Amino acid sequence: MSDLVSATGAAVRAADVLLRAMGGRTVMLRMPAPAVPTDVTEQLGIATPTFQDLPLEPVVYRKARATVAEGKAAKWELLVSATVVENLVGSLSYASASVLFAAAYGVLSGDELLEIESATGEQVFGQPYVYRLVLRAPLEHMV
Amino acid sequence: MQNAKDTFYVTLQSRLAALNPARTIVVRGVVRPGTLVDENELPTAWVPVDAFRLQWTGFQVNRAGQLPLVAMECSIQYATDGNSGNGGMDRGRLLAAMDAELASALGAEPHTVPKMNYAAAGAGVAPTAMGTNVFWADPVFGAATAVDERLERTTIVQVFAYQEAGEL
Repeated sequence: MSDLVSATGAAVRAADVLLRAMGGRTVMLRMPAPAVPTDVTEQLGIATPTFQDLPLEPVVYRKARATVAEGKAAKWELLVSATVVENLVGSLSYASASVLFAAAYGVLSGDELLEIESATGEQVFGQPYVYRLVLRAPLEHMV
Repeated sequence: MQNAKDTFYVTLQSRLAALNPARTIVVRGVVRPGTLVDENELPTAWVPVDAFRLQWTGFQVNRAGQLPLVAMECSIQYATDGNSGNGGMDRGRLLAAMDAELASALGAEPHTVPKMNYAAAGAGVAPTAMGTNVFWADPVFGAATAVDERLERTTIVQVFAYQEAGEL
C-alpha cells in the first residue's frame, strides 16, 4: 500500500517538475458564481453571474501551435498540474475535477478566453497526475 | 418578442415541473427544474441529458392586423443515455417518458397564457402582466436519433404573440 501511495505521489511530483521544466506558465480558470435558487431572471438571461478567476499553475500547452481546420475555431491542448486541480477541488468543495471543469466558464490565457471542450485526467494507479484540457478559441477569431 | 419567449419558457417549465418534479438539473451548483433555454445559459460544450433544452430557431412577423403578430419557432431538444445501472437498456423508455411529459405539458388546456414582463422581476418581485396573450400550436415531434449510446429527439412548437406598443 505504501508503495502505491509513494508511486502515485512520485508521478504527481514528476509531472509538476516536467511541466515547470517545459516552461510552465499560469492561466486563469474563470468560474461563475453559484446561481441564485429563486431568481427566475437568471434563467431568462436578465441577471448575469459574477465571475472569479482562479490561477492554474503550472500548465503547458501540449503543442506550440493550435490545431486549425478550415471553417472551425482553433483548438489547444493544455496540460494542467493535478496538484493545483486537486487543491481547487478541495477548497471550492467540488465533488470532482470533472465537475469543477464542467462548471467553469473557460480558461483565460493572456487576454483570450478559451472555452473548455473536454477535460480528462491521465492516471497512475487510479490517481490523476496531470489533466488534459481541450480548449476552443472564440468564434470571433475564426478564419 | 422577448416577453413572449420568457413567458412561454416559464409556463412550460412550471407545467413540466408539476408533471415530474423529479426531473431536475444542476446549473452552477443549484438544483433547478429540468428545463432551460440554451441562449440564456453560459456557452458550454456540455449537453445536459434527461432535460429539455429550448432554442428559438424561427421568427416571422405578420403586420396585417391591428397589432403585429409574431410567430416564433421553438425547438425543444431532449436526450437520454439511459440509466447506467441498467446498462442504458432503458433509454427508449426514458425518452418515451420525456415525450409523454412534453406532449402533456404542451397539450394541456389552455394553450394560452397572459404575456408577462420579467424585466423588472427578481427575488420577491413578481413580473408584470401585459395586455395580450401568448399562445401556441400543437407540437411536432421529430424522429428519434441515436448517437452512440445517446437517444435524442427534437420537437418543434410554434409560439404566437402580439407585439404590443413599445415592446422589444
